[in-house]
Amino acid sequence: MASLETEVLVIGGGSTGAGVVRDAAMRGFKAVLVERRDLADGTTGRYHGLLHSGGRYAVKDPLAAEECVAENAILRRIAADCIEDTGGLFVSTPWDDPAFGDTFLEGCRATGVPVEEIPVAEALRREPRLHRGISRAFAVPDAAMDPWKLVWGCARSAQEHGAEIRLYHRVVALERDGQRVTGAVLRNELTGKEVRIHAQVVVNAAGAWAGQIAELAGGRVNVLPGKGIMIAMNHRLVNTVVNRCKPPADGDIIVPIRTVSVIGTTDSKVADPDDLEVTQSEIDEMLDEGDRLVPGFREARALRVWAGARPLFSADEVADTREVSRSHALIDHRERDGVEGLVTITGGKASTFRLMAEVAVDAACAQLGVDRPCQTHVEPLPDSEDGRFYTLGARLRAHEPRPKPDELICECELITRERLEHAMERRRTANLDDIRRTLRLGMGPCQGGFCIFRATGILHAVQRLDSREANESLLAFLQERWKGVHPVLYGDQVRQARLDDWIFQGLLGVQHLST
Amino acid sequence: MSHDTIVIGAGLAGLTAALRLADEGQRVLVVARGVGATHLAPPTIDVLGFADERVESPAEALSGFSAAHPGHPYGRLSPEVVSAGIEWFKARLPALGYQGGLEENLLLPTAVGAAKPSAVVPETMNGGDLRAGGRFVFVGLRLKDFYPAYLAENLTQSGQVEARAIDLDPPPADDGGTLGLARRFEQSSFRDWVARELSRRVGQNERVGFPAVLGRQSAGDVWRELESRLERPVFEVATLPPSVPGIRLFEAMASALRQAGGRLLIGQPVIGAEAGNSRVEGVIVQEAARPKTYRARSFVLASGGLAAGGIRVDSYGKVSEAVFDLPLAGLPEANGRPPFRPTYLDEQPLDRVGVAVDDALRPTDLEGAPRFENLHAAGAALAGAVPWREASGNGLSLATGYAAAGSILEAAR
Repeated sequence: MASLETEVLVIGGGSTGAGVVRDAAMRGFKAVLVERRDLADGTTGRYHGLLHSGGRYAVKDPLAAEECVAENAILRRIAADCIEDTGGLFVSTPWDDPAFGDTFLEGCRATGVPVEEIPVAEALRREPRLHRGISRAFAVPDAAMDPWKLVWGCARSAQEHGAEIRLYHRVVALERDGQRVTGAVLRNELTGKEVRIHAQVVVNAAGAWAGQIAELAGGRVNVLPGKGIMIAMNHRLVNTVVNRCKPPADGDIIVPIRTVSVIGTTDSKVADPDDLEVTQSEIDEMLDEGDRLVPGFREARALRVWAGARPLFSADEVADTREVSRSHALIDHRERDGVEGLVTITGGKASTFRLMAEVAVDAACAQLGVDRPCQTHVEPLPDSEDGRFYTLGARLRAHEPRPKPDELICECELITRERLEHAMERRRTANLDDIRRTLRLGMGPCQGGFCIFRATGILHAVQRLDSREANESLLAFLQERWKGVHPVLYGDQVRQARLDDWIFQGLLGVQHLST
Repeated sequence: MSHDTIVIGAGLAGLTAALRLADEGQRVLVVARGVGATHLAPPTIDVLGFADERVESPAEALSGFSAAHPGHPYGRLSPEVVSAGIEWFKARLPALGYQGGLEENLLLPTAVGAAKPSAVVPETMNGGDLRAGGRFVFVGLRLKDFYPAYLAENLTQSGQVEARAIDLDPPPADDGGTLGLARRFEQSSFRDWVARELSRRVGQNERVGFPAVLGRQSAGDVWRELESRLERPVFEVATLPPSVPGIRLFEAMASALRQAGGRLLIGQPVIGAEAGNSRVEGVIVQEAARPKTYRARSFVLASGGLAAGGIRVDSYGKVSEAVFDLPLAGLPEANGRPPFRPTYLDEQPLDRVGVAVDDALRPTDLEGAPRFENLHAAGAALAGAVPWREASGNGLSLATGYAAAGSILEAAR
């Protein structure tokens, strides 16, 4: 078995793990991140894309709210290219008690969330699709944050500081020498080969899977995976993050992100973060709640539905996962389990990933007996150096000076052939789903109906695949896409899906290809 | 102005019914929200390509297939009608040079290099028949919808033929898409360039496949010229929408219909109907200024299935026919949104949904009685077929459109 040495081994390629490996590398540690699948393939890539102002937690979870306030300001500085500065609204619909607005204002003021009550007419001017019967509206600095850009930005920054990122590497064992964790054995999920990584300290940033990782070392982490479903609608039904002004419940947030808007979410306790079934009643609840914020929501096209597993940490058993604090949990297993060399960071949320990384690396420093200050709140991520926020028109603006429509491979997301080829070369992957996460390939209204055939032809050429491998990539993508599409298939999206069926099964006959 | 028959929908089914009726002297109006699947799909007349196995002869397979699939539209048609429809079609549109028949399926390469059975194909596609075996070369033109190396490798892997790719890099143009290339192929200078580049590079005995962009108005001439200059069989391979050869088919049929005195209103959706208990009196069309009712003696519903919007599903899972709210067959039993199956390539619960018809192709109620005595249905609106998997789409549209017209003519006599 091949083996290598590092100082800090980070397990988990979500926002937390990517933040940890960046933080560790910036503090001068030799660091390696391992992830069982692709970056942001777990909870981070399955969240609604909201950069919290803190308003959401201002009443119920003041600690989480305060963390959001601070991190929101920091991320706007260091991750501008990942953020669209949409602003946020909390609105009282006819189904919400207007008096809760006062409680909300009070909570915001106590936790430092910048908030301003604005006239209803002003809110409706900003967001004309909102329910005309709203009675109060509050503006907060919510924003939309692209999870893939964020995680890749951290990973690239970490690499620039000397870290190594190993994707599709699953932890099969944590190695111990007495009471000390000394590293891990990883299996490369693509080749099947195993590799041993010796580390002075292991940071378990596996989120909802953190309990499974800790168990490998005889540690215990009580993570309750909380399932949240989200539905992407094919339009920006709103251009501002819109929240219901009421105690947090299901389906009370719509986030405009990139070309879509995402409604979320639910919160229910599940046993296994890898088994997240979406039920019809959950979908109907989302659509009905969406209709209360934006009348006509049910008639709009739903593109896909998915579920993510929040890592909710609790020292005790809790019946309702919404009652668990959304602040993070740091576990130094020396104190907790008498196991040295292992730190677990879990709980929390994408908006506070940087803070979570900071406290985790602080704990790692303590275990290593060194004192090196965190720098992640100062240095911007790659592509965010100029401090300019992402805007919806960015891709169009880049494309417009020399428009070549025949070179647009994905018309929905404005991805050119050049950009696609570049991403394929950089990622060195035969998996079109990896490319999807990198570029948003096939994430628009046609859900890959047109671009996936093209991308397969290009992948075949760029990666020098044989045709069977290319066929496999194509079929795997179609299956993966269908998973999120079929539970919300109605209205005009049925027409789209049937056109896609005609293209893939009628015109191309992909079901007859050999793999 | 009154009409004998109003056809709703301008796809192959609607245009076939309309043209046959107009040829028989009827005053025909076609009204449609937009153009149909002709602009999306290849114009090959696939009658039946896949049953349990790949079908070699639709003529032999059809009766057994209908028996095995009760409720399939082919079960409503006699083999003679299917065959008569095809012969009528080939004779009625001679400029497109359709080849083939029900006796045997050709096998045409798809754009990913799968083999697709097809009964009747335009002359520009006929040379792609893989049953010929031997050597094939596919020509790329830097078209984003055509990847000849991938296509060729899959074909070679299948063992049927030996295939390779040649990439030509045409001089830049404003529109390098399928329609832009089709226009360029109508310029002799572009054909000169293509023929010159290729003649040096194609080998002996190679059949030469192009993406289906060999001209829009004069494709037959373009194709013949390339065949004679390259001195080998040349053929087109259908690729992603828009379908240039499908547009040729639409334009040929629409033009024939107008010449026969028929009228086409495209871009104006039918939003409802005026009907009594047993007869449809008129359809309500959303015109630019206001809804307008058009009356006729007979009606043909050829508004398509789920893809075209002739059949709709709302967010509560209610499935309905859009114009007459006809009863539907093939619905899954469960309430609520249809429980689609999690495996993409499985047959899905809504695949066969549509209107059930009697032997005169009149939509029926749940007891099997015609809902209206003067309403007929054709094409993808019919229940019981999975045309994209059976490779039966245009065959069904042509045969049912032809047969619906036949029923109307018979009733009028």
